[in-house]
Amino acid sequence: MDTSLHTRRQFLRTSMLGAAASWTLPVFLEKTFFALDAVAADAATQAVTGKDGTILVVLQMAGGNDGLNMVVPFADDAYYKARPKLGIPADKILKLDSYAGLNPNLTGLKSLFDEGHLSVIQGVGYPNPNRSHFRSTEIWQTASDADRNENEGWLGKYFDNCCAGADPTVGVAIGDQMPQAFVARTPTGVTFSRPEQFRWIPSEKRNGPMSAEETFFRQLNGATDDDAAPPTTNDGGSIAAIPGSTRANQSAVDFLQRTALDAQLSSDKILAIARKTKSTMPYPPGQLAASLSLIARMIAGGLPTRVYYASQGGFDTHAGQLGTHDRLMTDLNAALSAFVADLKEQGNFDRVLLMTFSEFGRRVAENANGGTDHGAAAPMFALGGAVKAGLFGKYPSLTELDHGDLKFNTDFRSIYGTILDRWLKAPSELVLGHKFSSLPIIG
Amino acid sequence: MLSSLATGNWNFATAAHLLNRAAFGGTPAEIEAARGKGLAKVVRELVDASAATIPPAPAWAQPRNIREIRMAIREEKNEGDGRNEKRREFRQMEGENILDLRRWWLNQMMTTSAPLVEKMTLFWHGHFATSVEKVRDGYWMWRQNDLFRRHALGNFAALTKEISRDPAMMIYLDLQQSRKEHPNENWARELMELFTVGIGNYSEADIRESARAFTGYRIDMTTQQFRFAPRQADVGPKTFMGKTGPLLGDDIIGILMKQPACAQFLARKLWRFFAEDDPSPQIVEAVAARLREHNFEMRPVLSEIFSSKEFYSDAAMRTQIKSPVQYLIQTTKLLATDPPAAPVAQNAMRQMGQILFAPPNVKGWDGGKAWVSTSTLLFRYNFANYLINGDAMRPNADPAKQKGGDLGFRRGPAFVNVPPRDPIDVSKVIPTELRTKPAELVAHLSTRLFQAPVPDKEREAFLQYLKAREPDTGDATMRGLLHLMMSTPQFQLA
Repeated sequence: MDTSLHTRRQFLRTSMLGAAASWTLPVFLEKTFFALDAVAADAATQAVTGKDGTILVVLQMAGGNDGLNMVVPFADDAYYKARPKLGIPADKILKLDSYAGLNPNLTGLKSLFDEGHLSVIQGVGYPNPNRSHFRSTEIWQTASDADRNENEGWLGKYFDNCCAGADPTVGVAIGDQMPQAFVARTPTGVTFSRPEQFRWIPSEKRNGPMSAEETFFRQLNGATDDDAAPPTTNDGGSIAAIPGSTRANQSAVDFLQRTALDAQLSSDKILAIARKTKSTMPYPPGQLAASLSLIARMIAGGLPTRVYYASQGGFDTHAGQLGTHDRLMTDLNAALSAFVADLKEQGNFDRVLLMTFSEFGRRVAENANGGTDHGAAAPMFALGGAVKAGLFGKYPSLTELDHGDLKFNTDFRSIYGTILDRWLKAPSELVLGHKFSSLPIIG
Repeated sequence: MLSSLATGNWNFATAAHLLNRAAFGGTPAEIEAARGKGLAKVVRELVDASAATIPPAPAWAQPRNIREIRMAIREEKNEGDGRNEKRREFRQMEGENILDLRRWWLNQMMTTSAPLVEKMTLFWHGHFATSVEKVRDGYWMWRQNDLFRRHALGNFAALTKEISRDPAMMIYLDLQQSRKEHPNENWARELMELFTVGIGNYSEADIRESARAFTGYRIDMTTQQFRFAPRQADVGPKTFMGKTGPLLGDDIIGILMKQPACAQFLARKLWRFFAEDDPSPQIVEAVAARLREHNFEMRPVLSEIFSSKEFYSDAAMRTQIKSPVQYLIQTTKLLATDPPAAPVAQNAMRQMGQILFAPPNVKGWDGGKAWVSTSTLLFRYNFANYLINGDAMRPNADPAKQKGGDLGFRRGPAFVNVPPRDPIDVSKVIPTELRTKPAELVAHLSTRLFQAPVPDKEREAFLQYLKAREPDTGDATMRGLLHLMMSTPQFQLA
C-alpha cells in the first residue's frame, strides 16, 4: 500500500483527467489547488482520507427496529408469554449462545458470526429513553443526553474536530437528505441517492462535448477571488492568506465560492468513479441493497470517503408485524451479505466496519394489532474484517422492565466512542464531550 | 446608538436592499418606485401594514372535537380487525392539510401587499419554533401561524404571553400535561433559553419555579382551544429571578421582559434575521436599547432599524444567504412566473433544508451559512433550472417512469397528477431588443437578478456564453443565460 502523502491535487488530477479527457486542467483550477494543498499541509497530521485508511459505514434502521425479534431470547419463557403471536419458535432461531440467537432470516449474518466477523452488542440504549421517533433519532444522531437539544451530529463533530483539510467527500450519505449525524459547523459531506443526481444539470440537454453553458458554469464556480488566492509557491508562507477552513471566519461570498468549488470537484469525482467502477457482484433488489452497492463501488473506486451513511426504512411495525419484519430481516440479510461478499472480493473487507442502529427497540409485549409499540433498549450489530466477533453487553431482563420496555445496559455512546477511538483513530472525548467506557469489539 | 441614513444615501442599491430584507425582493420597477418615494415613505408603508392583510383561514382549518375523533379511533382499534380505517383517514387528512397549509402560506408570501408582516411571521415561526411532526394537527399549526401574523408587528411581550397559551406550542413543549405535583420543565426551560433571555441568564431554580407557575395550562380537546384548569395550577408563593409572590405564567413573562438580557437576546436575533450574520456587541446593544425604549413594540423598532445607517452598511448589503423560503419566492418573482405546484415546492424546500411548520428542532433555523452545503448548493442551481425550464429539464419527463431518485423534488406516484410545468415566458423578463445587444442584456439582467452590477469575472463569463451561442438569440439561449446567472454564488445572496 502506498503510504506517501497523497495530496488532494494529485488525486484530483488523476481522477479528473481520467474522467473528462476532453478538457485539460485550466489555470484557475491549478491555482486553487495550491489553496487546497496549503490547508491540508497546515493540518498537523496527514489529511484524513478513506482512500487507504479505515472506513465506517453507518446503517440506520429507521422506525424503531424490533430488537427482540432480531436477536431472540429463545431460552426465555417470558418472551413466549409476552408474544403469543409474534414469538419465533426456538427451533428456528440461529443460536449464538445458550440464551439468544438470530432471527431465522439472518443466515448470512450467522455465517459472519461463525467466521468471526460479527459483533452483537446487546441492551443498547441511553438514560431517560425517549419514545418519539424524531426526538430519539435526534438523540442518536447528535449523541446528546436525552434532556439536551443539540444540533450538530456526532459525525459532524468528528469532521469538525478531526478532519480539517479533508476532501469534501469525507462523508457521503446515500439518500435525499443529509442525516443530522453529519451536521457540522463547517458543512461537510455530500448526499445523493444516485451519482447522476449529484451534478449540475445544464439548461439544454445534450450528449457529447460540454456545452457552452457548462463550460462557463465551471468557470463561474471554479475559481476563488484573485485577491484571496495565495502566492503561487507552496512553501508554507503566509497561512493567513488562505481562506479559513471554518464557516465562521469566512465572508458569505467566499464561503459560497468555496462550497461551489467543493461541489464541482466532488461531483466530478463521484461521477467518474460511478462510470469507471461497475459492480461485478450480484446484489438483491431493493433500496438498501442499491445503497450498499453504490457504497461498495465508491470504496472500490478509491473515493476518499471516511464515513458512509445509508438507511433502511419501514421498521415502525405497530400492526401486522410478522410479515413486515420478516421481509425487513430478509432484505437486511441479503443486502449485507452481498455487501460483505463484494468487499471481500475487492480486498477491502478488512478496512470497513459497518454498524447498525435504530432510534429505539420495541415493547416486550405484543399489542392487540399483531404488532409492537415503541420501546427502548435494543441490540446493535458491528461487522467487518477487523471486528471481534461475539456477544457483548447483557441481554436485558424481560421481566424487570422500565414501563414495559427493556432496560439498557450499554450506552450507545460507548459504541460511538469505541469506533471513534479504535477505528477512526479520533479522540472520542473531544468529539462526544465525555469519555464513555469502550467495548472490545474491534480486534 | 443607531444613526439615521443620510437622505443622499437613498438610491437604487439601498432601496433594493430594503426590499430584499423587509420584503422578498423587488423587481427593478418596484425598486425604482421605492427609490422615488423616499426612505421614510417606504418604511412607513412597510411598517404600517393594516389588519386587512390577515387572510381567511383555509377551508379545512376549523376546530374539531378531537376527543370524539380519538375515541372513535380507539374503539375501532379495539375491535381488532386491524383495518384502522378511521385512523388511516385521519392521518391522510392531516398529511393533506399540512401540504395545503404550506401552499397557503407560500401563496400568502407571494401575493401579500404587506410583505413585512409575512417576514415577521416567518421570524416568529423560527423564534417560537414548533413542529407539526409532534403537534400532528393542521388546524393548530394554522392557528399558531395566524397568531404570529396578528402579532407580527405588535408587541413581543404580549405575543409571548399568547404563545404560552397556544395549543401547538403547548403540545410541542409538553405544557398541556404539566401537573402541580410534578411540573414539566420543558416549556419553562425553553421559554428562558430560547425565547427570552438566553442561556446563562437564569438558574435551574428559576426553571423549577417558572415551571410551577405554568401549571394548569390545558387544551380543551373538544374545542381545540386553550383552557385554564385552576385545580391543576400551583398558586403558591414562588421566587423567580429575585421576585417573590404567588406568581403565575404571565407574571413570569413580565419579569423576564424586564431583564436586560431579554432585549439583548431579541435584538441579536432581529439583526441576524434582517441585517448581518455576525452583529457587533455595539449594534446589539443599540437595538436592545430601542426595544427597551419602545417596550418591545415591533413597529417603531423595525422602523428605526430600517431607517438606520447601520442597516445599510457594507457589512449588511448583499451579504445575506437567502433562506430557502426567500430563494423560492424571490426567484419566482424575478422570473415573472408562478411558484411550482405544492408537492414540488414542498419537496424542494425539504431538500434545501427549510420545511415550513417543521423546523428541525426547538432552536428553529440557524440561517446564514447553514443553508449551504455542496448538496444544497447544487440543488439550488438545479432547482433554478426547473423554475426556468419546467419539466423539460428533467432527465425523464414522464412522471410515471420516475421511480425514486428523481433530482429529489418531483418523483413518485404522488406527482402523476401534478400538471407539468412549462418553461417561462422569456419576454416577460427580457425585452426583445436586448437579445441582440449582449452587453446591455447582461447589465439589464444583472440589475434584475443581483440588484447590482456583477464583478468583471462574472460579467465576462456571461458575455462569452452569449458569444459562444451566436447567432442564436432564441428562447433557449436566453433561458440558458438566466440559468447560468442563477448558478452562481452571487445569486444566493440578497
